[in-house]
Amino acid sequence: MKRRVVLVDDHELFRAGVRGEIAASVDIVGEAGTVAEAVPLIRELDPEVVLLDVHLPDGGGEGVIAGVTQERPAVKFLALSVSDAAEDVIGVIRAGARGYVTKTISGAELEDAIERVAQGDAVFSPRLAGFVLDAFRAGEPLGGDSELDSLTPREREVLQLIARGYRYKEIAARLHLSIKTVEAHVSSVLRKLQLSSRHELSRWAQQRRLV
Amino acid sequence: MLFERSSDDRVIAGVCGGIAARLAVDATLVRLVFAILALAGGAGILVYLALWIYARGRRALPAAALFAVASAAILFALGLSGTALLGATLLVAGLVTVLAAGGSLRPGGSLPRLGVALLIAGAVIFLGRRGASGGFLAPGAVAGALLLVVGPWVWQLTVERTERIRLEERAEVAARIHDSVLQTLALIQRHAGDSARVATIARRQERELRGWLYGSGVADVESVVTALGEAAADVEELHGVPIELASAGDVPLDDRTRQLVLAAREAMTNAAKFSGAAEIAVYAEVGAEAVSVFVRDRGSGFDRATVSPDRRGIAESIEGRLERAGGTATIVSAPDSGTEVELRLPRSGP
Repeated sequence: MKRRVVLVDDHELFRAGVRGEIAASVDIVGEAGTVAEAVPLIRELDPEVVLLDVHLPDGGGEGVIAGVTQERPAVKFLALSVSDAAEDVIGVIRAGARGYVTKTISGAELEDAIERVAQGDAVFSPRLAGFVLDAFRAGEPLGGDSELDSLTPREREVLQLIARGYRYKEIAARLHLSIKTVEAHVSSVLRKLQLSSRHELSRWAQQRRLV
Repeated sequence: MLFERSSDDRVIAGVCGGIAARLAVDATLVRLVFAILALAGGAGILVYLALWIYARGRRALPAAALFAVASAAILFALGLSGTALLGATLLVAGLVTVLAAGGSLRPGGSLPRLGVALLIAGAVIFLGRRGASGGFLAPGAVAGALLLVVGPWVWQLTVERTERIRLEERAEVAARIHDSVLQTLALIQRHAGDSARVATIARRQERELRGWLYGSGVADVESVVTALGEAAADVEELHGVPIELASAGDVPLDDRTRQLVLAAREAMTNAAKFSGAAEIAVYAEVGAEAVSVFVRDRGSGFDRATVSPDRRGIAESIEGRLERAGGTATIVSAPDSGTEVELRLPRSGP
């Protein structure tokens, strides 16, 4: 059974490219180029996964997530972006995306990421893993909820390996864990990223912003 | 010279036009001021004559004499008093200071603070004695004239300043796009047949543009991460293998960390040349104790024992370099599982 996917990106050319690369293994049920188009479309189609551009002409990908989650909480979002701005990445993750990959990702890896997100796991690109490690720097004073505000040594280890370009399978082998456990660690980091009230997170993302 | 008479913008002798050009305001405004001053006992006419004489032959003495008479006329119109005298003196002194110090109201010009302060003090004293003896028209006229002149200056200054900043930014963007994107597009057209080369060029451009758009904005400060980014772009361009760079934290580049970057570059080059991997992952981490760089590929890997000892790349350029800088290089490689080079440099010196 192919995963049902909606593609939201304002560049027709890019959508065509993605379609060509992954149409064989997923079922692209709809496409939209703006927030205004995407929200009703996703509500109507109720796909499993939405591939979501971080930047849209009438607002960010965050707007799409906000417009959909209430009515369709089961829809999973995978952010797809050319932007490396920490603020963008952290912003869309905190809005509820289950993962973030850059647009230069290969077709096979994208299929893999869609499948992972559809199953409820999290997908971090190496760069995102680096951002998160930087934001949750060890040794910094903790905020209110210490469980949400810091990473466990194991989570740190997993993220470091992701940043170094390891895949989940390779991480599992290296740390002598099951793939499921690795996935659980990444999901836990995602949860912390989304729920942490740690204000350093937004301050940190702000500082990384351009000019 | 405070001003030059205008030869093309003139009604009588070009004095108003010249002053307007010098102050970068509309000549009609200046004429209006003179007309209003003319109501104050003909002072405007006297001032005009004084300026004319001054501008023609730079004969300061007759000009000054006329000025004195004009001032007297103004003061008389205001009702001669000590306060009026003080205010008028301050106003004149302020104007002279502004003009003599080369103050310009053109965008980018400077206004001497002292002159502005004198002008404001003069105006305040004038306005402050409203209701004193003498025609009420004259003090109002002088204050109005001042407002007419100063108001537009201030307004013009702010508007043109914003405009200038916007234009400068625009010019910077245009220059940047020209130097980078347009050059790259030209290159791509020339190499249209060579898809691998086109991909490399496009990727490098993407990296540059991205660094500019989303980078720290302090491009002049070289850091370990920016230097690694440059090294990665170079290797990518030379060998056509994409390199993904991730990082957590950053430090400025110094002699020791530069060795680290050079060693990382060598590791990337090796991976690109020999591993056969489709991509290379580089991760830099700045911790409290050490800076670490990981260069990883999923290529063929190698057995250290089979590498001929005369190949100096690993021993010299990677391990030797790191040791001299006080760090360590660890190379983990096995056939079929790829290679990872870990470079670790303690933060404090060796």
